[in-house]
Amino acid sequence: MQSRAARLIIRDDPQAASKYIADYVVERIRSFQPTPQKPFVLGLPTGSSPELVYKYLVQHFKNGNISFKHVTTFNMDEYVGIPRDHPESYHSFMYKHFFSHVDIDPENVNILNGNAPDLEAECIAYEEKIKQAGGIELFLGGIGPDGHIAFNEPGSSLKSRTRVKTLAYDTIIANSRFFGNDLSQVPRMALTVGVQTILDAREVVIIITGPHKALSLQKCIEGGVNHMWTLSSLQLHQNPMIVVDEDATLELQVKTVKYFKSIERVATELGFEQILPSEAHTSAKRKSIVEELHSPKSNGPSQNQLLAPKPEISRSVTPDLVPDRMASRIDEGAVKGLQGLILAELPLQPMGARVAQLAV
Amino acid sequence: MPAATADLHSPARTPSGIIKFTNCRLARNKRLTEEDLWLSSITGKILNCQEAFYEHRASPDRTIDLGGRIVSPGLIDVQLNGGFGFDFSVAPEEITTYAKGVARLNRQLIKTGVTAYLPTLTSQRSEVYHKVLPHLGPSGSRRNPSDGAESLGAHCEGPFLNPVKKGIHDASIFLDAPSGFSSLSACYGAPSLLRPTSPIKCITLAPEIPGVLSCIPALVDLGITVSLGHTDASFEEASAGISAGASMITHLFNAMRPLHHRDPGIFGLLGTTPNSATASTTGGAGPSAKPFFGCIADGVHLHPTTVALAWSAHPDGFILVSDAMALVGLRDGTYDWTNGAKIRKEGYVLTLEGEEKIAGSAVTLVECVNNCLNWSGASVAEVLGAVTATPARMLGLEGKGCLEPGADADLVVLEERVNDGGWKTLEVDQVWKFGVKVFDKEQE
Repeated sequence: MQSRAARLIIRDDPQAASKYIADYVVERIRSFQPTPQKPFVLGLPTGSSPELVYKYLVQHFKNGNISFKHVTTFNMDEYVGIPRDHPESYHSFMYKHFFSHVDIDPENVNILNGNAPDLEAECIAYEEKIKQAGGIELFLGGIGPDGHIAFNEPGSSLKSRTRVKTLAYDTIIANSRFFGNDLSQVPRMALTVGVQTILDAREVVIIITGPHKALSLQKCIEGGVNHMWTLSSLQLHQNPMIVVDEDATLELQVKTVKYFKSIERVATELGFEQILPSEAHTSAKRKSIVEELHSPKSNGPSQNQLLAPKPEISRSVTPDLVPDRMASRIDEGAVKGLQGLILAELPLQPMGARVAQLAV
Repeated sequence: MPAATADLHSPARTPSGIIKFTNCRLARNKRLTEEDLWLSSITGKILNCQEAFYEHRASPDRTIDLGGRIVSPGLIDVQLNGGFGFDFSVAPEEITTYAKGVARLNRQLIKTGVTAYLPTLTSQRSEVYHKVLPHLGPSGSRRNPSDGAESLGAHCEGPFLNPVKKGIHDASIFLDAPSGFSSLSACYGAPSLLRPTSPIKCITLAPEIPGVLSCIPALVDLGITVSLGHTDASFEEASAGISAGASMITHLFNAMRPLHHRDPGIFGLLGTTPNSATASTTGGAGPSAKPFFGCIADGVHLHPTTVALAWSAHPDGFILVSDAMALVGLRDGTYDWTNGAKIRKEGYVLTLEGEEKIAGSAVTLVECVNNCLNWSGASVAEVLGAVTATPARMLGLEGKGCLEPGADADLVVLEERVNDGGWKTLEVDQVWKFGVKVFDKEQE
């Protein structure tokens, strides 16, 4: 049993949040039981928040809890035009913080090549590779202070695919600290997976820590889907999970925080983790249900038992908002004192049309 | 081919020859860092592991868990007179026995952790140089791990030395250089002072000996390291030697003037500062850089405090040398030495019979490392630098004495111990040469 809703997991500090994700990823890979024929396909980010996640993943590996032998990875992005072995390249980051410490097969590692002769072709090939690998099972990500995911900065199409991206001026300035504070050394372009590439993953797990990310978390959780905060597109995903520390919740409403905390608490009390079951498990179940639905003897009351899995959880349901007009909510009695006011909505017409009438 | 499906279709991978050391501490840049080390047993070199991973998609054939032990570059001894009964300075009638003796020594020496060294000749008659130098040149070009320790070229300690500071050398065969470089050529043999065949890597000389100072620039041009030693040079004379191109002091404090506050002598070179013109009372401009110096930390040649003092004065130039003689590894007793003299060995103390002078040592280089570790207050990685990175830098060698990608995979695996009295030691557990394990304590 698991909730098919957005999961927001709140932990006290970045360490606890990162550890939660690492534990979760390990659990997912283990229950997936990857083989050479059926590797676990993992999408990976770089950045300061994910760094801690990698630390805990490496710890799991060193403790013998997990093998990455049959894990295929796809990284989100890479700069264009800096050497692969440059200390600030994402190749170097991944090698330093993760790949060099675990038993992953280098053949299974995919990172966009920012020095490819034909960058466009590199991006198209990347999407193809993901497809051939069977799609991404779990995409791990972080966000920027402006709510961007990968290099999908504000204004990126929420339908975007892997492509060459020009970096925002803010990002270039922010990154200059990694290049000796010399703006001229900062790459101006990057290759990045698109928003849609991420949304295509079966599950998306995002780490957000620190007060400087609080506003973007608020925009992405409480705001609407908006291309200025590209992570908000996650609201359209079936299985998103966002793991944050307390600092990152600073801009959220108290009730939002309480709501998500209560969901997790109730779930724990009922004895289930908010873990996505394996595809095999879900599809087997779906298949058996579909069979039941189609079999002639399934008619009758017994069908209900199949459709209602146990244990049942009950939680308060947010009432649906029924779209209506403001005017319809005003009761007849009140209208009496408002004689002469047009309560019907104005027809759409150009302003000019109205001006002309009055003036003449 | 799409990476994700490579597993499905590619046949079993061919061996990469790559070995990965993990769970180890690398002695690198004066620090111990917990990092993996990748090396290739095919090229015999240390790999850029990130490049191997991404570019060659290579996985190690073997991962060796070192259980937290220290990995250091192989030790380099720039002053080794012989060992295991073999003396580089003794030329037999039949020269093939000499070559065999060198080869045998190389295979023994490597077990002590020394993977490269300068076979050192004490002052000899000209004919000895002519005879033996061709057998002492750089021997690493074959890159054969089973050859053992590798000669980096000979170190000629003499004979252009000062009789006043002869040590145990035979002063009767010391030479001046009245005709400058020609005198040196006549002594060592012309082919020995020709590029690129020169078997000589280092020459110890006394700069105050007539004709010697002017030869220094030509030697440096040949790629030979010039070291000052067995000298009675004043601070000014020594400074002139450094200005001419000398870059080292041979066994600091031994066979030279002691430090005097009004004439610091050679030791004064370690007080050199970048603008040391004012430091010289005579007003002459001093050398611009402090020289490297050898230091025999056997507890016999130098008091422990003196070793600590030398370390403090110039840690970046501090090089531990064994100055070990042929008697390393032999029983105590009296042995014949060159030119009819005799040497007495008691423990690792060697004295010249009849004169009670210290006659070199019988310590191994790793024993010097351990002594220095306890005496100087320096860290393990810093002291290891004094037998790896520092000598390599002095000799101008790239690809030796470091663990950087592209360097030769000459390595020692060291176990660190501390006894009840707080005495720290490093023990040589394994030795690797050109990416192949050539010694393992557990298998001896």
